[in-house]
Amino acid sequence: MNNQLSFWQLNKAVILFAVVALTMPLWFPLINGYSGLDTKIMIFCIFLVGFDILLGFTGYLSFGHAAFFGIAAYSTGLMLKNFSDNIVPAIIVAVAVATLAAIVIGLLTLKRTGIYFSILTLAFAEMFHSMAMAMLQTWTGGENGLTGMPTPMLFDLKMQGNNVFYFTAIMAILLFYVAKRIERSPVGLMMKAIKCNQTRLEYTGINARKYKLLAFVISAMYAAVAGALMVVYEPFVGHEFLGWHQSGEVVIMSVIGGVGTLVGPMLGAGFMLYFENVLSVDLGEQWLLVLGLIFMFVVIFMPGGFMEALERIKRRFFTTVDGE
Amino acid sequence: MDMTLNAFTLYILTGLQLGSIFVLIALGLTLIFGTLGVVNFAHGALYLIAIYLAVSINNALGFGLALILVPPILFIFGVLMERGLIQRFYDRPHTDQILVTFGLAIVLQELLKWVFGANNIPFAIPSWGNGIIMLHDYLPFLEGFVVYPKWRLILVVVSIITVAAVFALLHLTRFGLVIRAGMRDAEMMQFLGVNINRRFMIVFGLGSMIAGIAGVFGGPVTQVSPEVGMHLLVPSFLVVVIGGMGSLGGAVLAGILIGMAQSFTAPYINLNTVIIYLITVIVLLVRPRGLLGAKGVFE
Repeated sequence: MNNQLSFWQLNKAVILFAVVALTMPLWFPLINGYSGLDTKIMIFCIFLVGFDILLGFTGYLSFGHAAFFGIAAYSTGLMLKNFSDNIVPAIIVAVAVATLAAIVIGLLTLKRTGIYFSILTLAFAEMFHSMAMAMLQTWTGGENGLTGMPTPMLFDLKMQGNNVFYFTAIMAILLFYVAKRIERSPVGLMMKAIKCNQTRLEYTGINARKYKLLAFVISAMYAAVAGALMVVYEPFVGHEFLGWHQSGEVVIMSVIGGVGTLVGPMLGAGFMLYFENVLSVDLGEQWLLVLGLIFMFVVIFMPGGFMEALERIKRRFFTTVDGE
Repeated sequence: MDMTLNAFTLYILTGLQLGSIFVLIALGLTLIFGTLGVVNFAHGALYLIAIYLAVSINNALGFGLALILVPPILFIFGVLMERGLIQRFYDRPHTDQILVTFGLAIVLQELLKWVFGANNIPFAIPSWGNGIIMLHDYLPFLEGFVVYPKWRLILVVVSIITVAAVFALLHLTRFGLVIRAGMRDAEMMQFLGVNINRRFMIVFGLGSMIAGIAGVFGGPVTQVSPEVGMHLLVPSFLVVVIGGMGSLGGAVLAGILIGMAQSFTAPYINLNTVIIYLITVIVLLVRPRGLLGAKGVFE
């Protein structure tokens, strides 16, 4: 194989994603997707790409990433309400606050692996959730949520309708590109080595904790950007943003799509939000039950998610005898 | 802190009562984890099945039948769950086990919501458990008139009996000996010719049955609605972590500790909502393996 990969080979996925994302307002209504849902899908693509840097690369399953999503959402909301209706300072502050929280939580939870890590991240997220409900009620609005934000502005541009969509889509494309760069970088390789065999990596003299924390914080920053954009998209913050439902939803999207592929989790996000908001009309109250069954089916029979399914189809129909 | 002996006694009782439910759920969790190495995210859903079964049987046929039927049904359900699903995951990574039990938890919860609706179903306490107990009649050091709901004290007693029974089973019988040996080294047990798989199945059933007992007596206290399972699961996980993964004594100790902490912080609403998490963080930092956790187990 040629060592010099062309621009197209390196950036194929990003370019394809950019084309699909930017043309979404054209084709999405054709499959009954309503305007606004496309923005939400873009927001969750950001969340999920970041989540895959942690789960897909290092193998650490966090059940508490809603914490960073929610913290950033509340920070954005409070900034818009009390400081300025410009979203730029709001997003920067939100990401900074969430990053700080991620460093502290990461230092504490990454002392543990596997199951322990999952339970502890879940516990921390639940802690923030109950704090938002009680202790910080005057700031967060408790049960009612944070409301009363002005219309968010990008300097002089009103963030409404298509403006929000294109802003989030461009953010999503940029952040997907960054994630792809991380994947190809030596740092990304270290992260993947942690998933393969952490002990062996440490024996070679590498400080695995540093890379684990880095992956954790980066994924939290992606979650924070998503949380902040969620408030730009819809000026409201509910306590559900911090709840375990939110964390669980992200895990489900990742797994259904295909952990560790970056593209897969975005497919998962698109599928799940489409399922939740469009197909659920036909299923009624039971949509979550059907989703749970699909999720279980994937975990049991197709651990690689949609990406594995695509790979299988490709192998079946499009390859010659000796493969690639 | 200025506290009378009366108030202190009531706080202790409330702490015990809150702890009882945590202990019962955490006991099953830690038993299953210690033996099978599986973290069961569906354990809250097992409790959910138990309370819905209990409330249905109780309201239709009476409490006696609920008490006789629910724990065995949960035992069978646990066995089926282990054979049908969990068994396939022994060789898969821990995260896959978490994922599949998490999926099962969603499916079970949504099924129950579909059948019984999302609203709370009133759980009628049987007449013999209704009303209050005059504590001052039994405890001479209390001043004046001190009462406590009878059912909550019954819950504490049931919990003590269940814990005692589990410990007796594990420490006084041959079956218990094999299980405890399996918790130490399952592979070695297989080399010695013990059919450890069958024991795993029974242990899973047992953990599920304890959730059944918790459901029958805890249902009237925790309410009967689809969210209850997950609400109880998180603190119960923390109880297991604080006590030490796989340690039964640790689960009991940590359950009571958490119950007490919640009870005594009740007047301070801000502290009350985060006390469990504070304790978890402190224990994690000071003693990562948990209060009574064995050395080297998930340290």
